[in-house]
Amino acid sequence: MSASLAPECNDVKERYDSCFLKWYSDKFLRGNAKEDECAPLFKQYKSCLDKALKERGIDTMIQEAREDNRENDAEHMKGS
Amino acid sequence: MVKFYETSYSYDYSFSAVALAYFLRYPNPYSTHVVSTDVIDRSYDPASQQLTTTRLHLKKSRVPAAVLALLPRRAVGASEKGDSQSFILETSTVDIKNGWMKTESRNLEWTGVLSVIEKQMYRRPIEVTNITFSNCENAAAAHGIIGPNSREADLKTYEKTDVTTTVVLQSRVNLLKWRSNSSGTMNGDEKQGFFSRWSMGPVQRSIESIGFKRAQRSQPNAKEGMKVVLERLRQGGLVAVLDGMRRDREEANQGVFKRRYGEGDDTKATEVDE
Repeated sequence: MSASLAPECNDVKERYDSCFLKWYSDKFLRGNAKEDECAPLFKQYKSCLDKALKERGIDTMIQEAREDNRENDAEHMKGS
Repeated sequence: MVKFYETSYSYDYSFSAVALAYFLRYPNPYSTHVVSTDVIDRSYDPASQQLTTTRLHLKKSRVPAAVLALLPRRAVGASEKGDSQSFILETSTVDIKNGWMKTESRNLEWTGVLSVIEKQMYRRPIEVTNITFSNCENAAAAHGIIGPNSREADLKTYEKTDVTTTVVLQSRVNLLKWRSNSSGTMNGDEKQGFFSRWSMGPVQRSIESIGFKRAQRSQPNAKEGMKVVLERLRQGGLVAVLDGMRRDREEANQGVFKRRYGEGDDTKATEVDE
């Protein structure tokens, strides 16, 4: 599996990734998914990752990029 | 100023295989420059059966010498040799009911120098979306036009996924941003000369051209990487993919180790394919 940016999140990421792959290939891709069964594990992984992104000062960069995207998209829509 | 690049391709694999390989494509032997991949958001809508994912990739890159000649190293966060790393934000939506996957990747850093947005549209071929095998076979049999090989022909169409890739490159050198970041390495005259050169445009155009060539060069490798993962999937399922990943990851780490300690400096660069 691919590594996490934050080594301290690797364990929980791996648990989430395994859960996701199973759900995605067994349920989602067969059109049988009723809900995201891995949401609780994702919550754990995300709380570890969010902390790591904040500590590394990457959270604002991601936020800005997403805001920038929205602005660009809005402008693009206006122009068309 | 915007540069635009578009290319189409068909994978000889089913849509669900491609949609699975997409999330499993790093690491692969063609992506040794990808350091990490994290999921930062994911949501599933049961009503539409769409899955939307946002991922963050960290990639090593080498800033081309031609760009370093145009811009100060600091502007692109590169070491003396031009080694740099950059975050890529990737969003994707998979619609399993209608058989399409839309993806978008963009660089998060040095967007002021060059912003690269790659969009991909993956589609299950229309003939597979609209007719099911049984309907097709029943209809064909009823009309007496079905031959012994028709099932095979159908399967061939089924094992196919079309993808269109578009890349938009834009250099919008942000003078204000750069000005607030720069601190006293150039004197006033040099600074003025430098900025007026930027505002003229040829630098942007040059950077866009270099970025354009890189984007074109990286496409075959991205495709080959996907094909390696798809082939592993076909041969041995998920287990084979995960085994392959582990090997690729180990090899990539060893490569870094060799380069790091073999050359006696702290260079982490590998020859990258982007």
